[in-house]
Amino acid sequence: MTKNENAVTSELTRRDCLKRGTSAFALASMRTLAPLVFAGCADLIPSSERNAVKVGLLHSQTGQSAMSEMSLRDIELMAIEEINAGGGILGTQIEPVAEDGGSRATSVFPKKAKKLLSENKVAVVFGGGTTASRKAILPVFEESNGLLFYPAPYEGNESSKNIVYTGSTPNQQILPAIDWLLSVAGGSRKQIYLIGSDSVSSRTTNLIVKKYLQDKSMPVAGETYIPFRQQNWGILQDIEKAAPDAILSTINGESNESLYHLLAAVENTADQIPVIAMSVGEDELRHLSSSRIKGLYSSRSYFQSVDTTANKEFIGRFQQEHGYDRVTDDSIEAAYSSVYLWKAAVEKSGSFDVDKVREAFRSGITFDGPSGELKIDPKTQHTFKRFRLGRVGKKQQFDIVHQSAENIAPDPYPQSVFPGWSCDWTNGGVTKGAEVKIES
Amino acid sequence: MFDFNLIYRIYDMPSWKLALAISGGFVLFYWVGCLLIRPFLRLFVRSRSGTNDLVGYVLSCFCVFYGLLLGLIAVAAYQNFGEVEKNVSKEAVALRALYQDVNGYPHPIDQDLCWLLRDYTLYVIKYAWPLQKKGIIPDGGRVRVTAFHEKLLAFEPQTKGQEILHAETLRQFNVFFEARRMRLHSVTTGIPAVMWYVVLIGALINIAIVWMFDMRFLTHVLLGGLLVFFLGAMIFLIAAMDNPLRGEVSVSSEAFELVYKNMLEESNLELED
Repeated sequence: MTKNENAVTSELTRRDCLKRGTSAFALASMRTLAPLVFAGCADLIPSSERNAVKVGLLHSQTGQSAMSEMSLRDIELMAIEEINAGGGILGTQIEPVAEDGGSRATSVFPKKAKKLLSENKVAVVFGGGTTASRKAILPVFEESNGLLFYPAPYEGNESSKNIVYTGSTPNQQILPAIDWLLSVAGGSRKQIYLIGSDSVSSRTTNLIVKKYLQDKSMPVAGETYIPFRQQNWGILQDIEKAAPDAILSTINGESNESLYHLLAAVENTADQIPVIAMSVGEDELRHLSSSRIKGLYSSRSYFQSVDTTANKEFIGRFQQEHGYDRVTDDSIEAAYSSVYLWKAAVEKSGSFDVDKVREAFRSGITFDGPSGELKIDPKTQHTFKRFRLGRVGKKQQFDIVHQSAENIAPDPYPQSVFPGWSCDWTNGGVTKGAEVKIES
Repeated sequence: MFDFNLIYRIYDMPSWKLALAISGGFVLFYWVGCLLIRPFLRLFVRSRSGTNDLVGYVLSCFCVFYGLLLGLIAVAAYQNFGEVEKNVSKEAVALRALYQDVNGYPHPIDQDLCWLLRDYTLYVIKYAWPLQKKGIIPDGGRVRVTAFHEKLLAFEPQTKGQEILHAETLRQFNVFFEARRMRLHSVTTGIPAVMWYVVLIGALINIAIVWMFDMRFLTHVLLGGLLVFFLGAMIFLIAAMDNPLRGEVSVSSEAFELVYKNMLEESNLELED
């Protein structure tokens, strides 16, 4: 040590030592506390700005369709929560944005669809519950290149690259039911009477049924359409005159109550003239008196009574969350599976971008749902589904009396009804044939 | 332009981090001021006899007013908190009573109404509460209440008993609706910004007065640090209690959770029957 250095050291006062010590202590404290304090800053960033992707849920939460469509929203939320709990999709959490269609297909649904796509910038919409609402929002999705998953069974005669149809088409739901009626197991019926609501859906479905029966040289026994909310029906005489040995009903909603009330009045029993309903599931059964629907058949892809472990677990989770008297049905199961089918497509494409997700559909996306394996048809963007026929049994549930051996390929354009029409999104999209006029 | 809404993001922090950030921030500010500001402030009072006595008198006098202000604000924040808690309980109780009433309706309307009320309750617990904690007025409850109200109004009583039950249910619905509106109004309830300005200016003056004391540096760091730490803790307490539905120290959804648990248990019992 040199002399000068010794001099500097000796000039350090007690005060200087304290100052330096305090500074050192302050710096050390700041260094220790900084990670703790600034770690809290992560909480200052709202979750919406963090890693999350928005998805839209567009169903009627108020109005006439609220009761049936609220279950679709609930089950979609449940699927999203399950996915989020499992780490999300591609490490991204899903943020649902629910909108109310208000049971007003043409006036409210399109506005809400536009809002979801342009304002909320959702990656996908799970929505609709009726043909009217789907048809009303379809142009919005096509204009904005959005993606819609539609979960309800429908009448076919439609295909859009912006819609994935996870409900059944007539060749998956209705034609197998006709085959069953004509079979020995179904009583070899030959006189089938068609009754439906006065809607495009019912009329299209019945047109498909009529052509199908015509191909088998079997004309229908009769055909009636009931306007919505009409209370007094004068159909009994017509039915008696037609003397059918089976009735196929595409009546929707509350009108079912009037139909079964009438049929019960003439003491029709299921064995005499069986009624197969296309729009009666477990949810609708709650509104029908058990004495009037004894033996009623329903044609669906899924029933709550499907006896698989996956289905029991699915029902268990839903009821544990929403109440033990809540029921699941065909559309609810399809809505739940829709979310997972989209997840599988996003994971396959590695992106939330609509075009890339759609591209993933071309490879055949599958999901093991509560009713079994579901697969999106790469050509039609409809879903391969199983046919099940249920008969009303105990506790307002359906006993499954018949089911197809395997999933049935979807056919939105049965050639007997829509000649020349086809759909192949892997090769050009929709090919138009001769115009088919549907009476309304 | 500074976005004052950013201030509210403090409620997204866990309480212990917020306490550490506010109290630690005050202490840090005080210590830095000791090094940088104190030498200038002491120019006004140094080298005069009885300096500390004078600063002590001023500090005592100031602390009386400031302490009173802090105390009153803390009480107001606590009262606010209690009021909101009372409203939340009122809504939950009204909801439970309404659920009981609709159970008496004929089937299947009773089931529909019960489902809609359960749906509302679940929404409040799972979705509305986290949104409220962020200071967002939740909108999803509105459609659920509308759906219930529509269904309720569509019911046409057929007997005298049903008429009485329906009238009582509608009355109960109004009680519930009023409580719900009050809860939603509480989402943005809080101490006015002007009061916060006075509190923060008061804290600054307090610190400035402490800096003026003629003490050894280490004594300043320790004694002043302790005083300022407690000042920060008081401000944290008021901030945490303010906005009763925001942050970790907030009115919880426990009342609704209890109601929902009962609803689920009843749905199970009805199914067994």
